[in-house]
Amino acid sequence: MSRHILVVDDAATVRLYHRSILEAAGFAVDEAVNGIEALEKAFSTAYDLYLVDVNMPKLDGYGFLRELRRQDMPQAPALMISTEAGSHDRSAALIAGANLYFLKPTRPDELVAYCSLLLGGSA
Amino acid sequence: MAIVKRSKNDVVDTDERSGARDFPGLTADLGDENQVKRRWAARDLAIYSQAAPVLIERLFLEQDSSVREAILISLTQIGDDTAVQGFIRCLRSEDARLRNEAIDAMKNLPDAVAPIMKNLLNDVDPDVRIFSVNVLESLRHPQVENWLIRVISHDENLNVCGTATDLLCEVGTLAAVLPLEALKQRFPDEPYIAFAADLALRRIREA
Repeated sequence: MSRHILVVDDAATVRLYHRSILEAAGFAVDEAVNGIEALEKAFSTAYDLYLVDVNMPKLDGYGFLRELRRQDMPQAPALMISTEAGSHDRSAALIAGANLYFLKPTRPDELVAYCSLLLGGSA
Repeated sequence: MAIVKRSKNDVVDTDERSGARDFPGLTADLGDENQVKRRWAARDLAIYSQAAPVLIERLFLEQDSSVREAILISLTQIGDDTAVQGFIRCLRSEDARLRNEAIDAMKNLPDAVAPIMKNLLNDVDPDVRIFSVNVLESLRHPQVENWLIRVISHDENLNVCGTATDLLCEVGTLAAVLPLEALKQRFPDEPYIAFAADLALRRIREA
């Protein structure tokens, strides 16, 4: 069975781009447009990985991960992506609960490699 | 309105105002330890045009989400240059929540934001330029497409151009076709630019 990834980003084009890359690599993909919708989906579906943008309306990526990590439920790894390259941004992502942080724009081979790494090597 | 939880800091009924309602009284209440007082002060300061600086300063300190929301609504209602400059300060913050709140607020101020948009889109900080493109997403202003075309034609930063191209997928017209083709030529080895530009071009041609 395919590993299940939740892509969380407010930009529809970015979600579509990531979905096309991940589905081509054999992953199953769901989407959420902000942290609130991502939490709702995380509570009802056992995802294997979260791919999370930082800047989103209503609830940003840090807020989503902080809330997710407080829950008494099985925890999947999270890969946070952002345009912001500062060390503050990286450390804030890790403190919030991300397992990896990397910069946009994502390249297809790198995205698949990072996801596979966090999932233990396979789609 | 029901009160869910009583605590030392939440002893004022949610539908009750207290204290002086003039500008000095409301400014004092805005710093009160009780969040209900702060929330009412933030709401009532909306009628005072001189309130933008104190509301902005409070926004940088305030942790209670309902008070923050009241501050943002009042700042949007005031909507003057001081309020907009305050939002721009928020865009430069390292606090993602503050940045996103400022972006949402600025989307509701097209007349106040439009005169400074050109400067924002030329800001030295690429993150500020990206957030400014985010403001354009829902800014109801006739110049939005022209601003985006200028970004994808001249900005050297890949992510700024990528964010502008995302938005052109939604608002682009035939005027954006040649600039989108030129963008692909400018960044020939960037898969995301190719993907987003092709998507925008397809949507424009199907419209």
